[in-house]
Amino acid sequence: MNRKKSSELLSQLVFVGPSTVFFLIIIVTPFLLGLYYSFTNWNGISGEVSWVGIDNFKQIITKDPDFGRAFWFTIRFTVVGIILANVLGFFLAYFLTKPLKTRNILRTIFFMPNVIGGLLLGFIWQFIFVKGFSAVGAATGWSFFNLPWLGDETTGFWGIIIVFIWQTAGYLMVIYISSINNIPKDIMEAAEIDGANKLQILKSIIMPLVMPAVTVCLFLAISWSFKMFDLNLSLTKGGPFRSTESVALNIYNEAFQNDRYGLGTAKAIIFFVVVAVITSLQVKFTKSKEVES
Amino acid sequence: MKKRTKISLASMLALSVVLAGCGSKSDNNATGTETGGTGETKTVHIFQFKVEIAEALNKLKKDYEASHPGVKLDIQTVGGGSDYGAALKAKFASGEEPDIFNVGGYTDLNTWEPKLEDLSDQKWVSDMVDVSKDQITKDGKIYGQPMNLEGYGFVYNKDLFKKAGITEVPTTLTALEAAAKKLQDAGITPFVNGYQEGWIIGQHTLNVPFVHQKDPGAYIQGLNDGTQKFAGNAQMEEFMKLFDLTLKYGNKNPLTTDYNTEMTMFANGQAAMTQQGNWTQGQIDGITPNMNIGMLPMPINDDAKENDKLLVGVPNNWVVTKDSKVKAEAKEFLEWLVTSDQGKQYITKEFKFIPAFKSINATEEDLGALGAEVVKYSKEDKLLSWQFARFPGGAWNEFAGSMQAYIAGKSDKEKLFADLQKTWDNLKK
Amino acid sequence: MEASKNYRWSTLLTEVVMILVGLVFLVPFYFLFVNSVKTFGDLLSNSASWPKSFEWHNYSRAWSLTKFPSAFGNSLIITVISNLLLALFSSMAAYRMVRHDTRYNRFLFTIFVAAMVIPFQSIMIPLVKVTSWLELNDSIPGLIVCYLGFGVPLTVFLFHGFIKSIPLEIEEAARVDGTNIYGTFFRIVLPLMKPMFVTVIILNTLWIWNDYLLPSLMLQSPSLQTIPIATFAFFGQFMKQWDLALPALALGILPVIIFFLSMQKYIVEGITQGAVKG
Repeated sequence: MNRKKSSELLSQLVFVGPSTVFFLIIIVTPFLLGLYYSFTNWNGISGEVSWVGIDNFKQIITKDPDFGRAFWFTIRFTVVGIILANVLGFFLAYFLTKPLKTRNILRTIFFMPNVIGGLLLGFIWQFIFVKGFSAVGAATGWSFFNLPWLGDETTGFWGIIIVFIWQTAGYLMVIYISSINNIPKDIMEAAEIDGANKLQILKSIIMPLVMPAVTVCLFLAISWSFKMFDLNLSLTKGGPFRSTESVALNIYNEAFQNDRYGLGTAKAIIFFVVVAVITSLQVKFTKSKEVES
Repeated sequence: MKKRTKISLASMLALSVVLAGCGSKSDNNATGTETGGTGETKTVHIFQFKVEIAEALNKLKKDYEASHPGVKLDIQTVGGGSDYGAALKAKFASGEEPDIFNVGGYTDLNTWEPKLEDLSDQKWVSDMVDVSKDQITKDGKIYGQPMNLEGYGFVYNKDLFKKAGITEVPTTLTALEAAAKKLQDAGITPFVNGYQEGWIIGQHTLNVPFVHQKDPGAYIQGLNDGTQKFAGNAQMEEFMKLFDLTLKYGNKNPLTTDYNTEMTMFANGQAAMTQQGNWTQGQIDGITPNMNIGMLPMPINDDAKENDKLLVGVPNNWVVTKDSKVKAEAKEFLEWLVTSDQGKQYITKEFKFIPAFKSINATEEDLGALGAEVVKYSKEDKLLSWQFARFPGGAWNEFAGSMQAYIAGKSDKEKLFADLQKTWDNLKK
Repeated sequence: MEASKNYRWSTLLTEVVMILVGLVFLVPFYFLFVNSVKTFGDLLSNSASWPKSFEWHNYSRAWSLTKFPSAFGNSLIITVISNLLLALFSSMAAYRMVRHDTRYNRFLFTIFVAAMVIPFQSIMIPLVKVTSWLELNDSIPGLIVCYLGFGVPLTVFLFHGFIKSIPLEIEEAARVDGTNIYGTFFRIVLPLMKPMFVTVIILNTLWIWNDYLLPSLMLQSPSLQTIPIATFAFFGQFMKQWDLALPALALGILPVIIFFLSMQKYIVEGITQGAVKG
């Protein structure tokens, strides 16, 4: 009995131990330190750190409309971004599991945007919006390209959305492809023999069976879009007039531009709690729709 | 088949562990010689943000080490522009404080002052040009060595001015408007405004009304203790006329115009004027070499004498960390930089800086047309300072947002002043 | 026989549409490439047009200024080791968590998942404090430790989902044959997870290879520079040296594209295997 217990303990340590140790050192400890700073007025530099209790939290909630605005922007961005990215990713996957001749090369092409890192990607797209679009607009006269891209609230918002979708759709596509390929062929064939058309197969067989992938993809997209920072910084820097400032950027500016690290971490804590609640609700919701395959 | 994959996986892992081991070993060696404590070689760690001079600094490092045996320079440059402050804070948090780093004047100085060595007793202090002193002085002590001077105003295209028939350089608001009108009538866009960039609009543009105050320091003090306001201030009101003028005669979509676009349009002759400084010379030369350009003042009213000035300041300073173990060597390096012939040579010829020291002379050849214009104005003592370094920390970013909202028609003058006021009150310390 | 029968007009139409969409996706790469071979002035003045002349020496300058071979070596070591260890440790942890669904493991998993939404910027200052206590700063192994910490949550999450779909019967049969838990994992479960390994390695490679902020905080010595850090050296306070940054960027993403193309066979293979099994 005792031996069994100790060998159980050993295997628990061997299997879960390494991951847990790295996780504790690199994420949990700094997070707890950050939690402490959120109750102080530390400016990020000096040796003086004084405890201010919940003052930071009070200030954020009662007199920081910009934080609220950043939150609202992030939520709008997340909702629109994840829906469009997942729809596009799913349909790319759906068509690319058909016997197309160019299937493999197309898969690579759709995935390629991911090979450029966020900051540089943003810089390149900023270049495209500002320079490329106006060049295309001048050549074709299409009003779409002559809009003031990134220069007002609407184009700023959609500009970031476009880049976000362009990058994430291919990533999500990979996951959807593997999920669609996992659907047993005999089910599909049986349905075809029964005379189901493509739409019916898509709706009644593929969709329910890829629900586990939807859970994963939604979760991934949500956690990316909520944390979006690189794209935001390099594409619009939150402008114009701070209309496209995401929460992550707002936190960063508060901590490093305004030299109010304590206040910045307090914002991060609030943000973390809200996002944790939202994502756990989402996972619960989609899990309930999953079908055991 | 399966076996082979496993073997290759295992060997790859083994290889990578070996590689990692090598990596860490050589690191240990490196740090060992640096801090080894034998007193033989001392390393001065320099942490700086000017990407533009990184190559020249590497050259300087070799020269300096050759002439100063026993001292090594370890120079790290942080790219990416705006990340320097965050990277510096991370450095200090990790306990690996650099010995020499960069600090801006006024507000930035206040933030970092507890970490800084008092440099008032250094030889070069008496040689500093006047405009560079105030920004790095706190409680009567000098805390840093000004890196260089930079000046801005309206950079203008002399050929386009001629083409529009403008013979006299405008130094008053009325003259500027007249010139803009002539340019427009000649089919030339008078201004290109890079108002998408926060630092252009929130720092350089908004600096103008502050520096025209009778006593800028007193006005800012007044804002801090609540005796002064944005709204109702005479210079603020006057400044809005200039601001509106640049918008009225400006390119379309100033909010989508970033720095690159702004400079490209200007250098390609698509606009006659743009609010910029001498640092744009390299960019302009890259597009149109030998352009016939100059720099104009930014007038807010019709007092020619009061307005015929360029806005000149110190963008950054070299400072020494108080707790540095190689303080003496760090100070020696800074002294060498601005007093030795070799150091001076680097400042003017290699960095292409406008020197902030009286005894260092730079020629137009070194600096280009714009730098020479700044030097000319500063020799004639026709200077206005940079007050934006006195704004509360981070405020320029929010100011920029408020001003962009004004440009987009989201607010009027009253609302703009109210927004600026709110930001100031929120961020003041 | 199947393929030719299935290849109908509608499939052709799909194919054409998808190729068009694919071209739209490639537009930024067009910009990246054509502008990487232009002079600075040409690049800013005529950004969308085909280059007037091909300035290939942009590439050689970027190559030498970034010290590309050294930066490439650093990026490669960091990416490969982090990836392998991450995949190994995470798959083990996920396996244990699924097959040993205790209250403790469920709690741990929840914490992992929750940690995925912490924005990096909010813990970066405390992080460098912790890493300097542990003397992890300015060394490649230290940076790898950081990647393990940051990568574990997502990687465990992905494996966790996958392992749940593996039928228990296979393992039980092995256990009855007397194989212990380690043998079961390494000889039976690990090969079954091949498709997920491929996915995880791709995802983590992209992230680690392109990451800028973490190495910029952790690595100080010039000899330890990674490709993104070397590329960012072309972005100054005011001026972005696009004529050097774009070639450097192209050089930096080329290895990843090659990697992805060579992995694609395994992806397809891995996925087919998964399909057969399902």
